[in-house]
Amino acid sequence: MYGWIWRHLPGNAWMRALISLVLVLAIVFVLFQYVFPWAEPLLPFNDVTVDQGMGGPR
Amino acid sequence: MRTRLIVRTLSEICVTLGALIILLVVYVLYWTSVRADRAMDGEIDHLQDRWATGTVSTGAEPPSRPRRHEPGASFSIMYIPRFGADWAKPVLEGTATGTLKKGLGHYARTARLGALGNFAVAGHRRTYGDPFKDFPQLRPGDAVVLTDGTTWFTYRVDRRPYRTLPTDTGVIDPVPRASGFRRPGRYLTLTTCEPEWGHSHRLITWAHLDATQSVAQGKPKALYS
Repeated sequence: MYGWIWRHLPGNAWMRALISLVLVLAIVFVLFQYVFPWAEPLLPFNDVTVDQGMGGPR
Repeated sequence: MRTRLIVRTLSEICVTLGALIILLVVYVLYWTSVRADRAMDGEIDHLQDRWATGTVSTGAEPPSRPRRHEPGASFSIMYIPRFGADWAKPVLEGTATGTLKKGLGHYARTARLGALGNFAVAGHRRTYGDPFKDFPQLRPGDAVVLTDGTTWFTYRVDRRPYRTLPTDTGVIDPVPRASGFRRPGRYLTLTTCEPEWGHSHRLITWAHLDATQSVAQGKPKALYS
């Protein structure tokens, strides 16, 4: 998988390393900005109130 | 050759999943707190700016104003000396998930700050700045001090944290049955999750209003001790 990506990146080794770094940073950004904020409420740390499921504000 | 490709792809997937899990842990343990601390400091600055520019009248009779706060808007700052001299968190209206990421949340259907009834507030114990991390250390007599820009309200904790089930909504009643309070009064309830990293129970603390003073009279004694 990673070998396949590496072979399909353009440029010499330095160029490929640079593009790889940018790709990794972009993926981390998308994870922190969009994916984890969506997934985190599914974990139990958000349940701090006593009136959930009572029609109260949640 | 084929087996080699399969083994290699499998191990790459495992490494990727491991990295993903580490990133999620970093996000939950660290990044949520960075974001929440920034948001809470912003809310406190915003409140202090608003109070400093005098959009709230000083000296007015505070507990009987019929004003309701907008959902998600901050209206008060809470100080709990037991949690540290620099522990100060904004209190926002409502207990929506997004609101609790920016501070403590006031149960909208409970009494207003300082009013007759039960002023109930929820907060995160872990993640999002860990505001109620030291919740179990609260002891009878501990001060919970709040200000709305015109008045200081000093509440005193009445008993050790009480463990209950998430469905036990009676704990934020005007006179909570399990609290030991018997007559209507000016009470405060704090709720957070229990155990620390779980959600099977809730931890509750009750306090009663002990003293009020105008901000013009300076900070209450409880904040100096």
